[in-house]
Parts: sequence; C-alpha cells; structure tokens
Amino acid sequence: MIMKNTLILFCLKKILRLMLLMAAVATFSYVLVSFSPVNPVDAYLGTAILKVSPEQREIIAKRWGLDQPPVERFFNWASQLIQGNFGLSTIFNEPVLSVIGKRFVTSFWLMFLAWTLSGIFGFVLGVLSGTFENSVLDKSISLYAYTMASTPTFWVGMVLLTVFSIQLGWTPVCCAWPVGLSPEQATLGQRVHHLVLPAFTLSLIGIAQITLHTREKTIEAMNSDYAAFARAQGEKDLGIAFRHALRNVLLPAVTLQFASIGELFGGAVLAEQVFSYPGLGKTTVEAGYRGDVPLLLGIVIFSTLFVFAGNTMADLIYQAVDPRIRKTGGLI
Amino acid sequence: MFQKKSALASLGSLMVLCMFMFVMVCPALAAKDRIVLAVGGESEEGYDPLLGWGSYGNPLFHSTLLKRDADLKIVPDLAREWTLSKDKLTWTVKIREGVVFSDGSALTAADVAFTFNKGLEAGGKIDLSPLESAKAMDKTTVTLKLKTPDITFIQHLITLGIVPEKLYGPGYARAPIGSGPYKLVRWDEGQQMVVEANDRYYGTKPAIRQLVFLFSEEDAALAAARAGEVDVLGVPSNLAGQEIPGMRLHVVKSVDNRGLMFPMVPDEGRKTPNGLAVGNSVTADVAIRKAVNFAMDREALVAGILDGHGRSAFGVVDDLPWDNKDIRFKDNDPAKAIAILEQAGWKDTDKDGVREKNGLKAEFTIVYNAKDSLRQGLALAVSDMLRPVGIKAVPKGESWDRIKTELTHTNVVVYGFGDHSPLEMFKLYHTPGPEPMYWNAGFYSNATVDQYLEQARAAESFEASIPFWQKAQWDGKTGFTMPGDAAWAWMVNLDHTYFVNKCLNVGKSQMEPHGHGWPITANIHEWKWICE
Repeated sequence: MIMKNTLILFCLKKILRLMLLMAAVATFSYVLVSFSPVNPVDAYLGTAILKVSPEQREIIAKRWGLDQPPVERFFNWASQLIQGNFGLSTIFNEPVLSVIGKRFVTSFWLMFLAWTLSGIFGFVLGVLSGTFENSVLDKSISLYAYTMASTPTFWVGMVLLTVFSIQLGWTPVCCAWPVGLSPEQATLGQRVHHLVLPAFTLSLIGIAQITLHTREKTIEAMNSDYAAFARAQGEKDLGIAFRHALRNVLLPAVTLQFASIGELFGGAVLAEQVFSYPGLGKTTVEAGYRGDVPLLLGIVIFSTLFVFAGNTMADLIYQAVDPRIRKTGGLI
Repeated sequence: MFQKKSALASLGSLMVLCMFMFVMVCPALAAKDRIVLAVGGESEEGYDPLLGWGSYGNPLFHSTLLKRDADLKIVPDLAREWTLSKDKLTWTVKIREGVVFSDGSALTAADVAFTFNKGLEAGGKIDLSPLESAKAMDKTTVTLKLKTPDITFIQHLITLGIVPEKLYGPGYARAPIGSGPYKLVRWDEGQQMVVEANDRYYGTKPAIRQLVFLFSEEDAALAAARAGEVDVLGVPSNLAGQEIPGMRLHVVKSVDNRGLMFPMVPDEGRKTPNGLAVGNSVTADVAIRKAVNFAMDREALVAGILDGHGRSAFGVVDDLPWDNKDIRFKDNDPAKAIAILEQAGWKDTDKDGVREKNGLKAEFTIVYNAKDSLRQGLALAVSDMLRPVGIKAVPKGESWDRIKTELTHTNVVVYGFGDHSPLEMFKLYHTPGPEPMYWNAGFYSNATVDQYLEQARAAESFEASIPFWQKAQWDGKTGFTMPGDAAWAWMVNLDHTYFVNKCLNVGKSQMEPHGHGWPITANIHEWKWICE
C-alpha cells in the first residue's frame, strides 16, 4: 500500500516536473530562435529568391503568420501546442508531428542499435579494464576510450566512410536502404547493411564514455574492503569482479546509459549528416539552417520528452537493480 | 537424420545466397529501362506546382501549357493555340482535347483555370501577381486576364504545371497527380525518389521507363557514381576534371552568370526605409565602371577559376534569344582602361599605385558570399587584374545575411543571376523602388532604359518584345551594358557539368538557367539507352 502511494506520488512529481521543464524549454528555445539571423522566407525561397517580388514574399509571410508580432506568434503557438497542434513545418509543408514521426522511425533504429551496442560493449570493456588495472589490456582499452572520447563524431564518421565505404567498398555510402528499392522491398539484411556504419560510428563514442566511467567504478570496487576480504579468502580477480564488484558498478552504469540518451541525440545529428541518413538528426540541421521555427521547436520539445523519458526510466530501473533504494522507498 | 538435415540446411543457405546474388545483380540487368540520377531536385515541401515545383525547369509529373524547345523557342505543349487580346490583357488558350491525368480523369480548361487562380493565392515560390483571374470558357478554352499588359507572364504558361482541381488539397504535394511524361511511384524523403513513365501521357512516350533520383550529398553521390550505381551525376566544374569509369563528361552551356554589381549613386548619406546605407562615390563614376570592364580578362577567369568550363559574360542574358550581340567588346585591355581613367581625371598623383580624383581614391570593396569558393576566386582574380590600372579592389568574404542586410547598396557585390525569362533583366535594371533588396541593388536608373523595358513588357507578343529587350541593353546611344552605362561588370557564364553513363544518350540539352542539376531533365523524355 505504501509502495503504491509512493509510486503515485513519484509519478505526480515527475509529471509536474515535466510540465515545468517543457514550458521552460519551449519559451527559452522560442526566444533563442527569434534571435536567429536566418530569414525564413529567404531560406524557403532558395534560388527562387530571384523570381519572387516583394508582394509575393508578403503572401508567403502571411501564410506562415510571420506578419504578426513575435510575442503574439509565441502565444498562438503555445496555445496550439497545449492542444497538441505542433503546427506546420515551413520546409516540408506538412504537420510537424508527421515530419518528426517519419524521421524518427528511421533514426530510432540507428539510435537504438548504437545505444545497445555502446551500453553492452562499454560496460564489459570497463569492467575488464578496471579489474586488471594497469595491465596491457587496461592500457589499450583506456587508450582507445580516451581517444574516442576526445574525437568528434562527424570526424570518426568521415574516416570510417572513407575507409569502409569508399576504399574497401564493404558498406554503402549513403541512405537507409539500397538505391531504387522501397523500404518494404529492402530485406532486413540490406537495411542492417546500411545501418551498420552509422550505428557503429555513433556507438564508438558512447562506448568510450561508459567504459571510462565503469572502469573508475570497478577500480573503486576492486580496492574496497569487501574485495580485499574476498581476495583473502582466495578468490581470483575475475571472480571478485563478477561476484562482488559487478553489482556495485551496475547502478552508475545504468544511470550513465540512460543519461546518455541526450548525447545520443546530439551524436545522431552529426552522424546522420555525414552518412546522408535521412533521420531526425539531419532534419534538425535543415530546420535550423532554413529557419523552420515550428519544426525546430517541435524537435526540441520532442527530444526533451525523449531525454526526460530516458532519465525517468533510469530512476525506475534503480528500484529493480538496487534493493537498498527499494527498501528506503527513496524513489525521489 | 543428422546428415540429411545438414545437407538440407546447406542447400537452403545456398538458395538464400543465390537469391541474394540475384537481388544484387538484378539492378544491373534491368539498367536499360531504368536509370539512376544524382542531380538534386528534391522539393522538400512536395511536388506541388502551385508552391513552385517546376519553376526551375521541368515539372516532370505535370505538363505545362507551353514549353521551350532545345533552342529556347516557345512551342505548344498542352495548348493547341494561344492568342493575346488587342488590349494585351487577356490570354485565350485552347488546350488539347482528350488529355487525361495519370489517374485517368480528364484534364479540362477548368483544371487550368483552377491551377492559375489557386497559384495566385497559394503563397509559394511562384509569383503570379500580374494575373487578375483565370476562367474556363468551355471544356477546352481558358482565358487568363491580367491586371496590366505584361508579356513576361508567358513564362508562367511555360513553367506552371497543371494540377487536377478535384485532387488538389493538403496531401497533394506528396502524392502529385499530373499529366506529364512521368508519374511519382515513391518518394523516400531525404533519400530518393522513384518515378515511372506515365502510360497516359499524350506526348511521345519516354524511352526510359523508370527513373530513380538520388538525393544524397555531393560526396556520397560521387562515391555512388564511382561504384557504378549512378547514370547521371551533376558535379561542380572543379570536380569535372576527373575520370569516372563508364561515364563521360557532358557539358551544358548556361546563363548561370556571375557579375559585379556596382552601386550607381554617389554616397550622400542616403538610406533606404529599412535603414540600409546607399551609394558609393567611386563606382558612381562611369569611368571606373568602364575601366573595370575593360581591364578584366574574362577568358583568364574562365580558364583559371572555372577550369575552362564556362565562357566570358558580357551581359545578363548572353546567347539567349533576347541577347543583343552588339554589346560584346574586346576585354583584357588595360591600356584602354588606363586611357578612360586618365581622361576622366583619375590620376595617381601621390605615386602609391592607386589613382585618385578630387581627393577620392579609386578604391572599393568587392563583397562575395564567403561560403562560395567560386565567387571568392573570381573576386580575388579580378582584384589582381585591376591593380595594374590603378584601381584598388579589396575582396572581402561575408555571410549572405550580412551582404543582404548591410552591404549590398554601398559595395561592389559578386552576384549570380540567369533565367529563361527576361523579366529578370527588367528587375535588375529598371529604376527600383525604395527598398530593392538584391533587385537593382545599385539603384541604377536610366529613363531611356526604363522606357524600353516597359515597352518590352507591354509588347503584344513575346517575339515583338525581343527588340525592346535588346535596345534596353544598348540602342546605339545608351543602355545598361558596357557600351552605355556599364551598370555591371559581368564576368563569366558557368558551364554546368554532368557525368553521364556512356550508354545513355541525353540528346541536346537546353541552355540552362541559374541552378545546376535538375534543369538537365528538361528533355528527359527524349533520353535513350544506346547499348545492347
């Protein structure tokens, strides 16, 4: 009963927080975007800019409601938003939600694959590295992790693209499925084939973060009293790591893994740009460059939700993973 | 039992392998009636002519009332005949009978009228503002009534694709139905578009049944072409020098030009209503502008900056039907430039290499879009060419936004124009309004030129307008080009370069407008696969 009540309280608090966060994010991003030097009408017109008279520009501005003052536009937008209407994307001439929906499906597989890979590999490498501190294995894993942690995603992407797609020809140079096929015609194998390199790029960097963090925690656990006690009983390093350290390391790793969802979003923007992968990341860049305010704000709000969901999930998983939190009822 | 299962399994995997191989090989076998193009052309907002789809070249899915042939002559397409009333206000167009959209429904004059009326208010990239209204008189006759006589409106008869009234609505742009040579099969946004020949098309059926347009970035498209996956690839001229196996270079002339726009009025502290400063006292002197025109070596610019893929530009409409051939002159003539400057009183009295007149130095900034390496190259090269004649031109890269909102009326700016409609010429050289933006940013104004331009627009037919367009450039006494006011120093016309599969015959390409890529599809229904 108490448990149930705390859960309800937890949810209420979370929802309240989410509302406040959304309001803050919406307002703040709107203010930021309104300082953008990009003129959306110019950006929309592109080369057609040379064919369109000032009168026609006014018609376009009117179609988008740009003829109203910014503050009024904000309140219009916000009140529509509350009703679930994200507005019309100016670039795509289509409801923002439908644009995000289509792009997100493509991005989701990329992000999900990268996220899972980086979680699993990062954790395993980190534990191994921490268990055998200062060994050759540890040093090579650390070297790799530090290198990757300090390398920008788009650069890694470009290097991999040059090596694997252009020189070796193993992986495709672009797109989410083969040229000329429809997503339905493309086999699962082909889709994975197109996904492999971007997902790999994206996970490389995620791996580094999680590895380094897990390594620190593992070292800490390996030098703890309970580890010393186990060692005194004749337990081997690997045994201590798996029977004792692992459980203590898992919690921070889970936090990090879920917190990294935000970074994943950021990384996807760059990776998709490099691999011409038509997902949400590439669309975000377009929206920014071309002053598509409704779409950009829509994506901002959507990603806020996404990241928030990730963090909440981490909070809930603590419960399952750590009996201490469960016992104290320390949900929040 | 165990043995058998394993054999079956290996047979199975062999079959899977075979199928896989077949899938991989299949596109190569079918290449005859299906080609892959990487020439851009993705319209993110969809393929809706009323929002501007097709205004740069071929609407592909739609047909237009008129069109331009390979020599840019106006020929009928959907229209059978067209006349302009005596007061030059009403076009009467009779359309073909029996034309259907790709869904089988009939295309009538009502659809044409709807297209024009709706396009007027749609708020897209086309500007139909001269139109008052369109009206269907009967099933095959439509009238287009203009507010004022304007022959350049014919461009909309040439470029505006006709949409079906019944089907037009919010989702239309993503599922366009038209009466053009091809129909949209599938569009994976941001990635590719697959189109197929429209069997109901009234014209010559295209020889190539299926086209796949690839919308990847330049590098990815190039890599795909190297891997043999692309049959037509648009590349910037600086990448045209390479060899791609199985492909040949196809060079198309264009009016995609680059020129230096001169501020034409002296700097007297004047401002536009939006607060932009206007005027430059150095370039307001015609002697400076002529000297720049003469001192410039255009052939060297073509050879050096465009790698030979272009030609010298002398006007804004070079080699178009309304070009005036008398405006050509011999450039790369520093002696002549010096003579002009000396005669106008620009002398280097303090021996610093820069001429001056009444205490004003012959010095200006050439502003270019910093993102555009081609424009940068041109600005730097021209600056070098002007130094020996005693003009100091400082090249400076800026963002487009800054150029547009601060610099354009006071500095020499590298601009690019080029269109299949002479309306562009009108907008560049007719006396501007108070806030011209990039249209006549230099505030050029000449009453005689204005008169010619207005006469051209008010002509009773497109043919009749041509002499006026030519006279506006130079009538023997005045004009906006070099022999006259030299309002701009045009530098080069780019060539648009494409790599085309050796087995593909793309026919004779039209002279292309500003915008590289999609215009090559203008005659795509004539393309043929010529290998066995």
